[in-house]
Amino acid sequence: MPATWKEVAKIMSGYAGFILDINLSNNKITVQETCRLGKNYLRKYLGGIGFNTGMIWEEVAGDCDPLGPDNLLTFSVGVFTGTNLPTSCRTEASARSPLTGLFGTSSSGNYWGSELKFAGYDSLIIRGRAPSPVYLLVTNDRVEVRPAAHLWGLGARETMKALRGEMGDGQLQVASIGPAGENQVRFACIENGPYGAWARTGLGAVMGSKNLKAVAVRGRAGIKTADKNTFLTLVKEAREALFRSPFYKTFKRFGTMNATVPYARFGALPGRNFQTGVLAGWEDTRTRKLVSKYSQRGIACISCPIACGHWTQIKEGPFSGLCAKDMEVTPVFGFGAGCDVENLPSITYLMEICQSLGMDAVSASLTVAFAAELFQRGIITEKDLGFPLVWGDVAAIEMLLKMIAFREGLGDILAEGTWRAGKIIPGASEYAMHVKGLELPLADPRGRWSTWTFGYLTNVRGGDHLRCRNPVENLRYNDNPRPYRTERFGLPESVFQAVDMAEELKSAIFAPDTHDVDIPRMAKWSEDLISVYNALGVCIRPPVLQAWGPTLFSRLYTALTGIKITSEEIMQAGERIWNLQKLFNLRAGEKPEHSVYPKRFYVEPLPEGPAKGNRLDLQAVQATLAEYYLVRGWDKNTGVPYPQKLKSLGLKF
Amino acid sequence: MKKVIAIASRLCTGCSICALTCSIYWCDEFNLEKGFVQVKRYDHEGLFNITFSSGCRYCLRCAEACPSGALRVVETPEQVKIT
Repeated sequence: MPATWKEVAKIMSGYAGFILDINLSNNKITVQETCRLGKNYLRKYLGGIGFNTGMIWEEVAGDCDPLGPDNLLTFSVGVFTGTNLPTSCRTEASARSPLTGLFGTSSSGNYWGSELKFAGYDSLIIRGRAPSPVYLLVTNDRVEVRPAAHLWGLGARETMKALRGEMGDGQLQVASIGPAGENQVRFACIENGPYGAWARTGLGAVMGSKNLKAVAVRGRAGIKTADKNTFLTLVKEAREALFRSPFYKTFKRFGTMNATVPYARFGALPGRNFQTGVLAGWEDTRTRKLVSKYSQRGIACISCPIACGHWTQIKEGPFSGLCAKDMEVTPVFGFGAGCDVENLPSITYLMEICQSLGMDAVSASLTVAFAAELFQRGIITEKDLGFPLVWGDVAAIEMLLKMIAFREGLGDILAEGTWRAGKIIPGASEYAMHVKGLELPLADPRGRWSTWTFGYLTNVRGGDHLRCRNPVENLRYNDNPRPYRTERFGLPESVFQAVDMAEELKSAIFAPDTHDVDIPRMAKWSEDLISVYNALGVCIRPPVLQAWGPTLFSRLYTALTGIKITSEEIMQAGERIWNLQKLFNLRAGEKPEHSVYPKRFYVEPLPEGPAKGNRLDLQAVQATLAEYYLVRGWDKNTGVPYPQKLKSLGLKF
Repeated sequence: MKKVIAIASRLCTGCSICALTCSIYWCDEFNLEKGFVQVKRYDHEGLFNITFSSGCRYCLRCAEACPSGALRVVETPEQVKIT
């Protein structure tokens, strides 16, 4: 156990100082000093997702059962988390995913991660399996594995309330699973506080498989800076740049709901399980235009001046009185478009159901959409479900979500996720909308081909939109000057000049004069950049992405930790993390044929709207993917990293 | 005129930038417990409460850093007593 915070502070700046390792099979608790990893390791992996990736690569075998005791569940706090750098609030949770079988990972903000860091820990590693339900209590002077039989069956929010009551501490932060995690639903999430989550890739099922209901943390120590004056000067600079971003005010006002309008105008909604890109009345019923009607005040994660969350209260209709932290774009697209639920109060209610059950709202909504399409096509019937599952029927969707969480009836099959359920239910597989087993969020690539949507294919964690973001995303245009290869830049010259990227790379990614963006090259750079963000614990919202880059990060890192690093080294750390996750995936059995969109995108043209007639050209997509592999230094056919690439990153396979 | 801090907890978003700013300036570390200003979270209700301890040095840095308007620097006549 750590002795006192003062002793830790002598050792390190920026980092909390310790890594906590708990084996639930035998209650063995081990504490390792973070500094023992060595400066070189810290420079190579930084923290957050970097630490998780390194640990999981070292310890989790390719054939490890994701829901067995040998899987590792790791939480690592970002290096900047807990400081006053705006938006530095993120913590990464990772394990082998029970949904995809690949590297499972998810980032979350709120207050839990900073609390863990204030308790003295940069990482928490959970291994083994408790013989009966337990929860963990982690504070500066205590680490305890406690019985949780009385919490089993509770929702995440109730668990948090119960633990706060037990501890008599209203500021206790709790990560917990709901019934879905307990029942090992493969897309169960870990709830982070009352309204957040490590949502994607089924980490809640991993926690449930370990009989771990919750991790309660409370920290009362501090984080030192190696060079306080320089760090605070840089924070001031970063803050001013953030406030200057044109996205700052929009995100403050609308949060992620900002994206609800443009995708509808492109005809790229995932309407009715991606059967259509447009839905009647969308703009007037399910977009940012209505946010002000329900939202009351901003809610922030720690250190965030944007406060993209909004306290929301429904004041009319059947859900009158319902409160939530936010209306978010992903459930609005998942339930609103995917399941065609026709209004924001109903979507908020369904989001609330997911939260109370502890399920990733993206995968849950797309699994319901998958079932609804099966019902529409007569592949499943009222007899199978016990009720009709008609598009937009909120009561039916709620019943199905509960059946999934408790693995009742057909819900037991759907709890396996669309990829597996598609293989179990005869004739269903072509309606499972996933990449590598992870249900697809947001936009339909047939309606908008961009670095962002191409990233669904290359993402190490499967079909997801959050690991391939960049500072020049432009939702005003939907234009590919070179089909499949480039997207229109269309932003002011000042934005181009401000992109923090080496000149040589800039001229390779952006076309001369027009600055049109080379998609495969930008995808590679974006993924490396987001890996850096997730290692440092900084939010990837557009105002932040546009304002800051690797140069600022390297200066901040050096000032905070005292460990010298250049912007090239920090981007190389991002590239290393990404490559190591890819190596994990290859070891876990990922094959080239898994990097493919659902068949529908290649064979079914969008039937209506601005993108009517669009479908993906398989050969063109594969050519773009091959180019991406080459840019990455991977074999263009197999996606396996070349030895010389790995050598340059200090990795082996 | 003198500068004082006006508190409007209803505008607080819970970011705690005030507390982090205070603690790094006065205690040389980021520490939510050590700052002279603290934010209590009632996160189930989306509400936050800002309190100052008696050690506050009136440096105003918390209010200058506050992004939500919950803490603001305002000028008042000299005779107003700060409580």
